[in-house]
Parts: sequence; structure tokens; C-alpha cells
Amino acid sequence: MQSFQQDCVELALRKFRRGEVDRRTLLAGLAALGVGSFASDEAAAQAARKLVMVNWGGLANQGFGNFYGAPFAAANPGWTVEQDSTGPSAGRIRSMVESGRVTWDLCDSSASSSFLLGRQNLLEKINYDIVKKEDTLPVGFALEYGAAPYSFSSVLCYDSAKFPNGGPTGWKDFWDLQKFPGTRLLRRDATAMLDAAQMALGKDPKNLYPLDIRATVRKVADIRRNAVFWSSGSESEQFLRTGEAVMGIIWHTRATVLHGETNGRIKFIWPQALLQAGIMVIPKGNPGGEGAQRLLASMLHNPEPQVGLLTLLGNGPTNPRAAALVPQDLRWKNPTDPENAREQVVMDGEWWGANYQRANADYVDAITG
Amino acid sequence: MNDTGRVSAGWWLLILPAFLLLVAFYIAPILQVLAISFTDPEPGLGNYERIFTSGSVQRVIMTTLRICLITTALSLLLGYAIAYAITLASPRAKGWWLLAVLVPLWISVLVRAFAWVTLLRRQGLVNNSLMGAGVISEPLPLVWNEFGIIVGMVHYMVPFAVLPMLSSMREIDPRLLAAARGLGASRWEVFRSVFLPLSKPGILAAAVLVFIFSLGFYITPAILGGGKTLMVAEWISLQILDLIRWGLGTMMATMLVVAILVTLAVFSRIVDLRRIFGSGG
Repeated sequence: MQSFQQDCVELALRKFRRGEVDRRTLLAGLAALGVGSFASDEAAAQAARKLVMVNWGGLANQGFGNFYGAPFAAANPGWTVEQDSTGPSAGRIRSMVESGRVTWDLCDSSASSSFLLGRQNLLEKINYDIVKKEDTLPVGFALEYGAAPYSFSSVLCYDSAKFPNGGPTGWKDFWDLQKFPGTRLLRRDATAMLDAAQMALGKDPKNLYPLDIRATVRKVADIRRNAVFWSSGSESEQFLRTGEAVMGIIWHTRATVLHGETNGRIKFIWPQALLQAGIMVIPKGNPGGEGAQRLLASMLHNPEPQVGLLTLLGNGPTNPRAAALVPQDLRWKNPTDPENAREQVVMDGEWWGANYQRANADYVDAITG
Repeated sequence: MNDTGRVSAGWWLLILPAFLLLVAFYIAPILQVLAISFTDPEPGLGNYERIFTSGSVQRVIMTTLRICLITTALSLLLGYAIAYAITLASPRAKGWWLLAVLVPLWISVLVRAFAWVTLLRRQGLVNNSLMGAGVISEPLPLVWNEFGIIVGMVHYMVPFAVLPMLSSMREIDPRLLAAARGLGASRWEVFRSVFLPLSKPGILAAAVLVFIFSLGFYITPAILGGGKTLMVAEWISLQILDLIRWGLGTMMATMLVVAILVTLAVFSRIVDLRRIFGSGG
């Protein structure tokens, strides 16, 4: 299963190849994921300390190496940050920690994985004396075992040409095959899908959690014969682009691409979309020790690189000061813009962390039944 | 020790590095997988119990077996026809036939799966032509289901079916066929009571090869299944990487290895595997 982060890097590379963004922006945006200089007092004291950040894409190595390494080394004498793009899936973090030879410091993960791994004692707790909670969004973005320097959203995306009498306005419409006939597109992973199903079942979005796993899984099973399921972001884009599906739940980054490419024929809506935290985690016994906490703190603290990331990849900033720095013409696609954030539902990472294994197993069972 | 003994000891020493490499990087990890399947999340047979108690585990196994059996049957049928045609073809035509069988083997499985998507999707070549010709009014559901998966898998497997059958058909003495004809048998009778029985070892070998290969399929079902069909290989990856239920994942991996060994053991009683897979022949 491809993760959101993996997909972002892929998307950026494509934009770069098509000439939609220049090399400078590309490198800047990629570096934004990890950029920021942190206080150098203690750093200077400890000579030649190295941090390893792990991401999901092959591009990061070249991008981070050129743009990020040099300025960071200048700002923090004695410290370097290396990029590793081998993909920190929960399974790989577990095998690294259990083998006792941890080489990773900061991993691009997810809220549910942070709880899943944290519960098995495989992650360091975030030290909120170093990482500032006020540098990120209040609910769900600063967790016990991870914090989020960026955000993303699962939105309802549809082909407006197929619905001349007006498109869907929420998840109820998404499930209404009578009023809006055509193949649906869902992710082959329960997160965000069951949340949407719960809203379609009529539960108040303000009071969405806990989800009723049985009822929501059954709700998804109701439409499975009229649905296809995506595993990677490019796949989700392709299903909608080629008309295999008329309506889908996909990441906002892919939805904005489709919107631009079709001049607005393929639309997406913010209401009831599921706002999620791009959670970074620190494997237990990481070699860089506290340095990883401080790297994370700086990523949360600096709004400018976060806006750079939005420009390049579409990831929403999480620093409260960032939204105001976003250029006017980009605000429509920023998930954490106050206008857009207000209409969305923040996914409850904690509920998902506690229930992901069971819910996802049931979900995969139901759709492959 | 006599001379020949020393020579053979020398040969064994040559094999030793490869043997150690295999033990370190192949057998040891497999044993580790086996160990995890008995110890995670708690020691015992809990993971294996799921085979009998968990509906979803059973369904994954049944789906995999069903798809593999259908794939094997269709690949054998198509492969047999091709192998038969090649055997009877002129030497010149034989070369071209073989090339046509082998070329798909060299194309990446990923490329082939995407090619099938292009052909079979709603607005794909097949549906568009059929609709253009007025044969159908609505696009047929040719992909994002088991049908699509089987098309993709059979396409991949046919060469693997052809090659063992071809090698066994080549060993059939053509004079036997002529003799049968001379004794008054019809073409069909010659085929049914002379050619077919003589080609049976090849059919069995092809069946084993195709079936075992199909069990571990990952990419083709993932791409052509539209996310709605889950086979064993993908299920294992889901358990290990995303759900971190290693016990369950390794249990299924162990079962896969066991299934392959059992298949091989059963068939080795029926046919001489060593001869079929090329050694001692």
C-alpha cells in the first residue's frame, strides 16, 4: 500500500519533468519537509553528530543532499542531516528496532502507525519541552508518539460532466447510487473510508468518533460491486481521469491535479473531507537521541518551508502562522487554510491508532469478499 | 582415501561457499519466519488455529486456490495446443514459434499487466471496438475483477506451460504415430491413445510449474483486480508491512512454502521430477 508521502514525491517529480515547477522550487519544497535550523549551542558542543531522516521517495536523496545539507551544516556546526528514501513502513520500523541496530532518527509515518508502534514500545515519546505544541494544530497533530509538520486531506472528487444537474455535496450523496449513478472509487485502506461511511450513515460530523466499525464496513460493502479500490495515488488519479470511476475519495493533492488538468471538469469539495496529520515518528533508541526531537521541533516551528512544501507538493502547513503566508492563488488548495479547514473533519488519530488493525482487517475482508 | 575420493572431496569444497551463502541468507531467514509464526504475538499455535477459525484467512486461501487452479487449467489447455503445433511444425517454423513463445517471457510482468488494463478497461480497445461494431451497448466488466486477473495470469503462465510440454513431446518417437496410422487408427485415435498418453509427463510437469508459480502471484492481481481480490502474497505483505501482525503474515508465508513442498512431493511420486526439470536427462 502506497502512503501519502510516497505519492507526494512522485507527484513532484512529475511536475518537475513537465516543467510545471523549476528545479529550485522542487528542491526547496522537498527540503521543506525537513528544513529548519535548530539551536546550535548544544549541537556545537557535541562534535560531528548526524541525523537520519527517512522518507518515501527516491527524489529526496538528491534534493535534500544539494539544498538541505549545506545550509544546515552552516547553521548548526557539527550536525548533518542525511536523507534515506527507503520508506519507513510500520513493519520496517518494527524490524529495525527489534533487531537492536537502529539507524533512523525521524520517520515520515502516520497517526495510526504512531499509536500502533508506540503501544508496542517501538517509538520514542515526543518531548514536548523541545517540540512546541503551539507550533502545530491543536487537535490530532501533536501526539504522544509523533507530531505533524504537514497535513493532507481525503476529499470527495467527482467528474462534473457526469452530473449535469449538480454534483454531490457530501458522503450521503457519495453512497447514493440512485441519484448519482456510476462507479465509485475508494482507497483500499480503512482510514478515511469508514469515517466517510459514518457520515453517510447520518452521524454528526462534529461528533463522529468513535466510529461503528461493523455498521461502516457494512455500508462500504453495500457499494463494493459498484466500486473500485486504489492503492497508490497515481492509480486513484488514473481511475478518475480515464472515466473508470465517476466519483472517488482521494487525496487532495491528486484532486487538485485532476482539477487543473481538466480545467475544473473534475471537481473536489472540502465539506466533510477528512483532514489528516502527516505524523513524524522517532524509532526507539534512535542514534541521534534528542537531536531528532529538535529537528522535529524546527520543522514544526518554521512556517516558510511549510509554505514551500505546499507550493511544490500540496501538503498543507500545520504551523498556525503559515496560512497567512500562503499566496492568495494557492489558498483554495491548502487543506489547513482556515476557510477550508472549517468545513473539514479532523480525523481522530487516536481512535484509529487503537482500532486500525481490526477495522482495516474487517474492511479489507469486506471489499475482497 | 583413494584418488576418486579425494577428487570428489575437492568438488564438495568448491560447493561449500555457495552452500554457506544459502544457509546464511536463505535457510536461516526462512527458519526465522517459521519461528515468528509460532511466537508472535504470543507463543503457541494461535496463528495456525486461524486457518480453521478465521473466515477471512480461509477466504484468502480459497480465493488463491480457485484462481490458481483456473489459471493452471487454462494455461495447460492453451499451452498444450501451442506445444502440439510446434512439435508438428517444420524445423523452420519451429524456430519462429519458439521465439513467439519466449518473447512475452522477457517482457516485465508490470508492463504486461498495464497493457491488459489498457485493452480491457471500460473505454479500452476491446470494449470500444465491440461497442463500435454494435455488438454491445454497455461496456463489459472485463477488468477490476477475477476475470481480469485470470486473463493476466494465464497470459503470463502460458510460456511456462508450453516449455515442459514441448520438451516431453519432442521425445515422442514420430514413428509410433505413423505405425498407429498404418494399423488403421484415425487421426483422433492416434492422438488420444498414442500421443496424449506419451505426453502426459510433460502435462504434469507443466501443471506443477504453473500452479506453484501462480500461488505466489502479487503484481498481476494487484493491478488487474481493482483492489477487490486479495491473494495470499498480497495478504502477507499487508499483514507484515501495514498491520504489523507478523505472526499471521509469517504463518501464511509458512503455509505457502508448505503448500509448494506438498505439491512437489505429491507430483514427485507420480513423475520423475529430476528428469522433468532438466537434470539426469
